[in-house]
Amino acid sequence: MRQPDGSSAVLTTRIETMLAWARKNSLWPLPFGTACCAIEFMSTVSSHYDLARFGAEVVRFSPRQSDMMIVAGTITDKMAPVVKRVYDQMAEPKYVISMGACACTGGFYRAYHVVQGVDEFIPVDVYVPGCPPTPEALIEGVLKLQELIQRGETQYDRLASKGRHVTDSSA
Amino acid sequence: MKTAATVNVEPSRPGLLSRLYVPAILGGMAVTMRHFLRNLLGQKDVATIQYPEERREYSDRTRGRHILTTRDDGSLRCVACYMCETNCPADCITIVAEEDPEATVEWEKRPLSFEIDLLRCVFCGYCVDACPKEALIMSRHHEMAFTTRDEAIVGIEDLKQKGPIENEDLGYRPYY
Amino acid sequence: MTDSLRKAGMSQTALLELFPGGDTFDAHTASDGFVEMLVDRSRLVDVLKTLRNHPDLACDLLLDICGVDHPERDQRFEVVYHLTSLDKGHRFRIKVPVAEDEPSVPSAYGIWKAADWFEREAWDMMGIRFDGHPNLRRILTHEAFQGHPLRKDYDPAQRWVLTESETMVPDWVTERPEDEDHFETQILNLGPSHPATHGTLRIVVRLDGEVITRAETEIGYLHRCFEKMSETHGWNEVIPYTDRLNYCSAMNNGVGYALGVESMLGVEAPPRAQVVRLILCEFSRLMDHAVCLGANLVDLGALTNFWYFFQPREEIYSLLEACAGGRLTVSYARIGGLAQDVPHDFSSRVRQLLRTIPKFIDDVDRLVTSNRIFRDRTEGVGVMSAAEAVAWGWTGPCLRASGVPFDLRRELPYLGYDQYEFDIPVATTGDCYARYLVRLEEMRQSLRIIEQAIERLPGGPVITDNHHVALPPKSKVYSEMESLIWHFKLIYDGIKVPPGAAYTATEGSNGELGFYIIADGSGHPYRLKVRPPCFAIFQAYSHMLEGHLVSDAIAILGSLNIIAGELDR
Repeated sequence: MRQPDGSSAVLTTRIETMLAWARKNSLWPLPFGTACCAIEFMSTVSSHYDLARFGAEVVRFSPRQSDMMIVAGTITDKMAPVVKRVYDQMAEPKYVISMGACACTGGFYRAYHVVQGVDEFIPVDVYVPGCPPTPEALIEGVLKLQELIQRGETQYDRLASKGRHVTDSSA
Repeated sequence: MKTAATVNVEPSRPGLLSRLYVPAILGGMAVTMRHFLRNLLGQKDVATIQYPEERREYSDRTRGRHILTTRDDGSLRCVACYMCETNCPADCITIVAEEDPEATVEWEKRPLSFEIDLLRCVFCGYCVDACPKEALIMSRHHEMAFTTRDEAIVGIEDLKQKGPIENEDLGYRPYY
Repeated sequence: MTDSLRKAGMSQTALLELFPGGDTFDAHTASDGFVEMLVDRSRLVDVLKTLRNHPDLACDLLLDICGVDHPERDQRFEVVYHLTSLDKGHRFRIKVPVAEDEPSVPSAYGIWKAADWFEREAWDMMGIRFDGHPNLRRILTHEAFQGHPLRKDYDPAQRWVLTESETMVPDWVTERPEDEDHFETQILNLGPSHPATHGTLRIVVRLDGEVITRAETEIGYLHRCFEKMSETHGWNEVIPYTDRLNYCSAMNNGVGYALGVESMLGVEAPPRAQVVRLILCEFSRLMDHAVCLGANLVDLGALTNFWYFFQPREEIYSLLEACAGGRLTVSYARIGGLAQDVPHDFSSRVRQLLRTIPKFIDDVDRLVTSNRIFRDRTEGVGVMSAAEAVAWGWTGPCLRASGVPFDLRRELPYLGYDQYEFDIPVATTGDCYARYLVRLEEMRQSLRIIEQAIERLPGGPVITDNHHVALPPKSKVYSEMESLIWHFKLIYDGIKVPPGAAYTATEGSNGELGFYIIADGSGHPYRLKVRPPCFAIFQAYSHMLEGHLVSDAIAILGSLNIIAGELDR
């Protein structure tokens, strides 16, 4: 609900709250799983923890049909262009959860082929620590993202309020 | 000395019944319906843990967030010996030592700053194994989510034990 | 001479006589049971051919090829070949020194197809050229990478950025095949971000309708520089890194590595540690097979089995977490034993698991094994004959499904496997269905081994009391000065492994997981080469695909159980 110049339109606060409520409760994840964290992500969507209870029922591997990208696992320099491309293909509003030490900061791989944190080239909303994070930690991360969406404080909101598209933020 | 026998797992040729689709479908449906009805009627046996209202019981060796323990007078037990920093495979601990004015004959230094980058940490527990003073242990608290990377670099104030040690949710402690 | 050569009635001189010019070689038996030969580059092809073709030697399985960098020597590099004979049990290590100004050796691809990717990796990591190799390109690092990372003068943190325009495109993509009829073929890229690729694999295929006419795989999307990291970290600090190799069965890797280092140190873990390691390794094998079959079935459309298999996985996680503190990445093994003793209720928990897990395996069995749809989709798909599998360097359940009964738990027992009664399932058809059956049966056999092992769990310590190797117990560190000094020395200086080299192999969930460890007397490994079972298996994949449909390609990929952490390290 933004004007082209980025300012907020009149009488939209209620609608924005409702939109935020709808968005946060229907986050469809794009699990960008590369390594061990992907296995813990699989545990999270399995019967024991069941991420579907939070609205993330539809786990789509297609960027066009998802709004939350969970980067689960180490991103190497070879994989980085792929992550960027998949992220660019997602439709806005889009959110990113960086799951695990490797995706957040490179973890203990201070090495010649590992990206030291996926926020080198995409904006991240929530960082979930752990190696791998337990399913509860990941669900906590999703809950925190839901909180941010409700308050309008995600990276998408921050950049949209400046009238810029999220994909411009590659710095 | 036993030697393992080789056993052939070739399947038998499919009989008429298994070549028809319907019996296999019915058999499969029977298995899934059994699970479904068990979940529907016996609510308490459902495998799903209703987080965040219900939490799973983790063992008392879980490697979660670190705790810097204190002595009875409230000062940190840590003597800034740098063992944890050396043993850490991720190099996520940064200590700056200073002379402790309240030192007795048993130690000389204390940490001026003790920072752990929780986003670098791989929660392997090697720092706890390395500490000769049981000054650094781990709790069972593993649900942390941060919005920025700087928020995850925790110092003495965040890591310090709050209150008596029995009240903390203790996890991994050193044995060897 | 090794036992296997003695059994064949061969002495050292008789062995050397088999090779042309053999009197000029140096051959001796190394401490790890391998016959080690130092061969000059000019004689290499003759030696390798004799090793493969001579009926008394019959080294048909190429295990590993790697390069080692010794900057202080005149001949800087050393190319090391590890070979084994499946029938006779011989194990050979061939070392070829190579100088820096001309770092090339003849390729072994014509002798064993398994040399394909191993030589590409040696080129990528060390810069050793293999003359005659059909496709000597970088395999693990990316196209824009410069330098050879495992050389000693390469800074571990030196990165190179890859932009999208520089990603690898196979040469044949732009060619038009001559026998193409009037319908065009299409190039399709499967992965690396694809729901069915089980991680980060990329397959480029040329499609004629839905039939694949040519394929090429690209790996390295999860190359996390394990070998370089192990050179910069202490011996015990490598263990968390080994957990992330085959992350579906983390315990196996740590134990395999610890066994290797322990053999070099001459230290043995106490009996209680051996039995606990065995029990947890078998549980890890079960978990790995559960994920493999679950994911394979998901790709074929059978989602329910995935949920059913994750239940036992969660329960094993609880057990591992109670022992080690971590669910997936346990870091439980230490050099000399285990990190801590098992909890008091370990035996009862294991027995409880032995009662509950078979139900889930039986459920999946009932749903899937005689299911017509599953059989149609997997029988006759991805057939690999025994001879081909051995030529490609396959080991593990995939090799056993092709009819070769090779299992290291029986051939070279470790952790006391020869004391237990279990069966080794083997199938003969070598297709996806056979691999499924072999894995399902192996899960049941793992439970059988655990049942026997838990009855024999002895008491005693779980780590050696040799304080040059293992940390003393904290109760002593807090009270005794001597223990405190041992503690300090071990943390600061690390374990001092005497200079030497050893190749130790264990039966990982996917096959022979080998660790070739070279120590130089300092507190961290000089060179640690991992022989990943998936690497040898996956190199055959692009050749298996020709003539299959795209959906078959996915079914085959699932049945091979490719774990990217192990494949790319």
